[in-house]
Amino acid sequence: MECGLVEDRLSEYVERTLPHEEMVRVAEHLQECARCQGLMEEIRSILVTCQAFPSYEADVELIDRVLLRTSGRPRSRSLRERLRAYFLRPILTPRFAMGVGLALLSAALLVDLMAPRVGTLASTLTPGELLSRMDRGVQQIYSAGLKLYDTKNEYQTQLSFFKNNLMHKLGFMIEQLDVPAEGNKKPDEQKQPEKVPAQPKKSSVLLLPA
Amino acid sequence: MLPGDEKVVERCLQGDDAAWETVVSQYAKRIYNLSYRYTSRRDEAEDLTQEIFIRVYQNLKSFRSESGSFQNWIMRVGRNLIIDHYRRTRRFQQAAGTEEMENMNLKDEKVASPQRIAEQSEAARFLGDGLQALSPELKEAIILRDLEGMPYLEIAELLGIPEGTVKSRINRARLELAKLLTKRRAQAGVQI
Repeated sequence: MECGLVEDRLSEYVERTLPHEEMVRVAEHLQECARCQGLMEEIRSILVTCQAFPSYEADVELIDRVLLRTSGRPRSRSLRERLRAYFLRPILTPRFAMGVGLALLSAALLVDLMAPRVGTLASTLTPGELLSRMDRGVQQIYSAGLKLYDTKNEYQTQLSFFKNNLMHKLGFMIEQLDVPAEGNKKPDEQKQPEKVPAQPKKSSVLLLPA
Repeated sequence: MLPGDEKVVERCLQGDDAAWETVVSQYAKRIYNLSYRYTSRRDEAEDLTQEIFIRVYQNLKSFRSESGSFQNWIMRVGRNLIIDHYRRTRRFQQAAGTEEMENMNLKDEKVASPQRIAEQSEAARFLGDGLQALSPELKEAIILRDLEGMPYLEIAELLGIPEGTVKSRINRARLELAKLLTKRRAQAGVQI
C-alpha cells in the first residue's frame, strides 16, 4: 500500500473502524514506513491530548441571565439552593472570612494568655500535692463558713441591741408622757378618797323606838 | 431526538416557562463548551451562549422534528452564530484556551504527578498553537469531533454535508495537524 492511501486511512486505523483486511495492510505498511508510523503516532497523541481537555459546566448565573433575557422568569431554585442563598451567601464573603479569622486569632491569643499551663499543672499532679490542695480547699471552705457564721451572729446581736434600745426608749417616752398628766391635776383631785356611801350606823339607839 | 424533546418544544411554544428552563438547563453546558472551544475566552463564550439561546427562543417555531433532532438543531443555530461572530471579529483564537491548557488535567489519572501535568500542559499548548494554524474548516472538524466528541453523523447533520465528507475532512485535519506538529517539534528540538 502506498503512503497516500495509508494517510487517507490513518484516522480510521487509529479509531479501529477500518475493515479487518485494510487494518492488516495498513499495519504492514506502518511497520515498513517510519514516516507514516510517525504520523500515526502523532495523530494518536493528538487524540489523547484532545480527550484530556476538560469540559466546563455552564455557570448557574449564566443560565439565570439567559432565562431572564428570554422567558423573563428566573431559574426555579431548589429548597437547598434557596437556603444556601439566604444563609450562606452573606457568610461566604471575604469580609466575613477576615472577621472570623481575626476573631479566632484574638481568641487564641486570649487563651494563650489566660489559660492555665497544662504542662505545669500536670507536673504538680502528685498525690501529696493533691492532698494538700484538697486540704487547703477544705480549710478555705471551713473558714468561709465560719466567717459566714460570725457575720450572721454579728447581725443578730446588732438587731437585738437595736430592738432592746428601741423598746427602752419607747418605754421611757411613755413614762415621760404619763408624768405631766398627773402633775396638772388639782391637789384635791389628786387623791380623792373614794366616797363610800355612809352606811347607817347600826346603833342600838336608833333601833330604839322614838 | 432525546425522549420528550418534542413535547418539551411544544410546551415551550405554548408559553410554558418551566419547559424552556428545562431546555436551557439541558443544553447550556454543551453550547457553552462549544462557544468556548471556538473563542477560547470565557466572557466571549458566555455572551455567545446567551445570544445562541435568545436566537433559539425566538426561532423555536421554525424547528421541525422531521428534519433532524432538536439537539442538532440547537447546535446548528449555535454554530451559525459562532461563525457569524468569527466573521464579525475576524479572529479565531486557538481552539483550546490558554486557561484551559494551564488548568488541564488528565482525565484518566486521579492524581497526576506535577511532571505529568506539566507535560500535558505543554502538549496542550503545542496542540493549541497547531490548531490556530489550521484553516477554520479543518479546525472546526477537530473541535466538533475530537474536542466535543460528536459522532460523525451528527457532525454531518450539523454541517449539512455527507458523512463521508465529514470523515475525510476530519482525517485531513488530523493529518495536517500531525504534520505541522511533527515539523514544529523537529524545529524546536523538543520531545513532547
